[in-house]
Amino acid sequence: MPDGSFSHPQQRQFNPYSDNGGTILAIAGADFTVIAGDTRQSEGYSIQTRYAPKVFRLTDRAVLAVNGFAADGNMFVKKVKQRLEWYRHAHAKDMPLRAIARLIQTMLYAQRFFPYYVYNILGGIEEDGSGAVYSFDPVGSYEREACRAAGAAQSLVQPFLDNQIYFKNQAAAPNQSHPAHLPLPDVLSIVIDSFTSATERHIEVGDGLEIYVVLAKGRSAQGLEGARGIQELSTKSDGDRVFVIRRELKKD
Amino acid sequence: MDHFPTNWGRPRNDAYDAYNTYPLHQRPSNAPTHDKFADAVQRTQQPIVTGTSVLAIMYKDGIMMAADNLASYGSLARFKSIQRLHAVGSNTVLGASGDMSDFQHIQSLLDALVTEEFTHQDANTLGPAEIHEYLARVMYARRSKMNPLWNALLVGGFKDGKRFLAYVDLLGVTYTAPSLATGYGAHIAIPLLRQAVDGRQDTLTEEEARKLLHDCMRVLFYRDARSLDKYQVATVTDAGVDISDTIKIDTTWDFAEGIRGYGAQTQ
Amino acid sequence: MSIMQYNGGSVIAMVGKDCVAIASDLRLGSQAMGISSHFEKIFPMTDRVYVGLPGLATDVTTLHHQFRYRLNMYTIKEEREIEPETFAHLVSSTLYEKRFGPYFIEPVIAGLQKTASGDFKPYIAATDLIGCLNFAKDFVVAGTASDKLFGVAEGLWEPDLEPEDLFETIAQTLLNAVDRDAYSGWGAVVYVLTKDKVIKRELKGRMD
Repeated sequence: MPDGSFSHPQQRQFNPYSDNGGTILAIAGADFTVIAGDTRQSEGYSIQTRYAPKVFRLTDRAVLAVNGFAADGNMFVKKVKQRLEWYRHAHAKDMPLRAIARLIQTMLYAQRFFPYYVYNILGGIEEDGSGAVYSFDPVGSYEREACRAAGAAQSLVQPFLDNQIYFKNQAAAPNQSHPAHLPLPDVLSIVIDSFTSATERHIEVGDGLEIYVVLAKGRSAQGLEGARGIQELSTKSDGDRVFVIRRELKKD
Repeated sequence: MDHFPTNWGRPRNDAYDAYNTYPLHQRPSNAPTHDKFADAVQRTQQPIVTGTSVLAIMYKDGIMMAADNLASYGSLARFKSIQRLHAVGSNTVLGASGDMSDFQHIQSLLDALVTEEFTHQDANTLGPAEIHEYLARVMYARRSKMNPLWNALLVGGFKDGKRFLAYVDLLGVTYTAPSLATGYGAHIAIPLLRQAVDGRQDTLTEEEARKLLHDCMRVLFYRDARSLDKYQVATVTDAGVDISDTIKIDTTWDFAEGIRGYGAQTQ
Repeated sequence: MSIMQYNGGSVIAMVGKDCVAIASDLRLGSQAMGISSHFEKIFPMTDRVYVGLPGLATDVTTLHHQFRYRLNMYTIKEEREIEPETFAHLVSSTLYEKRFGPYFIEPVIAGLQKTASGDFKPYIAATDLIGCLNFAKDFVVAGTASDKLFGVAEGLWEPDLEPEDLFETIAQTLLNAVDRDAYSGWGAVVYVLTKDKVIKRELKGRMD
């Protein structure tokens, strides 16, 4: 009862969390994975910056997208990268994707009673060369999936992905079945469409789009040659490879 | 000699448990069981003496930052010649809004950090990126202890031919952009700053930047009740840090002459 | 939980080339528990005006009756059928009458408007629960799955769809949206309005 009197003592508690908006998304192909996120960072109705990356290259075969409370997100990525570096020093190789996934679950659960307020999506190439997506909740529950959206526009994007990736509610042509995995150009189109749609209808999504593409070892860059503004981030050309494609989104 | 390490440093009380019958991990404390001041440990639950907006932009030669000279005590304009821009080393400037006592604590942390770095005598100096990283860690660590430093800070600098401009606040949230502002400035000045700066940071001259910040500080003085018409501007360029003398904002009030509700009432 | 989510349900309307479509799910629930899978919330007002009424089920019935009554009065007084745009304003004013004790319904209107040349022009609109009208050139959505509907519709819809393509677009949009909404689903119904016929199709959907 904030009536200005001192009869009832007031308690104001510091809130250590905030929501910084944005959306992330990942789709696994047969021998590639696409991980994307917009670059807007906001608090309430204010756009703090039009370029704050939410997607990070961890190794040549793993990319992590982080969405939610930006301070927790950046700190979490920093700590994951640190653990991966220690692993490299101890084992003289990069940590496999499924091991990174389990590492992330352990790190998130370690903070069970003061969680990182962050939704993680890990994408990359598994040791068997298949594309993989792992999605996490803030306290570490995780599963491997073919596709996942998270963040402010999850509710807009996920049902669209159900329809376009999993072919939900679509009957296959007679004597035919739906493909288990889509080709890379189709996936890129769906990712771009998802973000332009989310930008259109969600105020916290927009400004810029970063699409990371991880290709399995030995796979040609076929399907990427046409992409505008593409940049390779991998450290060697004979293993799994990472690329990033940067696009503009509407800024209103 | 007391051979129990858990007792070392504690007041002696031979009359009590002289034979150490307690297991190690349950050693009784001989100190007063209740610290009379335990309840009085204060955490910053709210800011007390506060500074309002800080503005900062990138321009052709480096970065420019502005903050007024007021430290408010609630709605009282308590201290009217406070400096809220602080040079850190010779490549960085820090601008603070929020709690001024927390800001002064941060200043002493940074000064200690710069001194520590200097004592290494390895010709290495901390640049704006390092200062910002350090502040982000301190701010995030304090928020994680539920004992935040109640500030929104802008860190600007110029080192090795590169501009740097970034934000960090009491939650540990960080970001960078060509134009930044804290507090009311984020609502009132940012639209003006982005229109003038974003995409033009490589061509914007010092005079243009100075005028832009001056105009924004005037708008803020007109509309922010916790602001002052006296402010300072800091620049960081390859020539180093320069924090100006206090600048007075020229204001016009004659438009208010015939408007009821503005200024003194004549009837 | 809000009263708007008590019974669940969603409606969407879309514009096509010389046609419009309106579709809804068939669920009636009591919070998380499903009660009926045959609860229609789209009603014909005339042959060329349809209204969808997602929201609190008791108000669905009340408003349906209210609109029917007011429409009859309009038809008797004017001696002609109501046009969709006029009907949209009737909906709006009916809801605003109860500005401070509203019906918990967010109506969606879809119809074919007669033009001066005698053709029919697609018309869709939606309002909030106190009658703020929202016209759109593409699609309107309402109900517990509205955010999902927005997302899918924004991705699937394109201009100038023929009736059968429009049916496929609205059906896919609705089905995939309600499958991600706990309070909508349990089957669906789609109406496609063209100048000379109305096609009604009931769709099977996931029943979980």
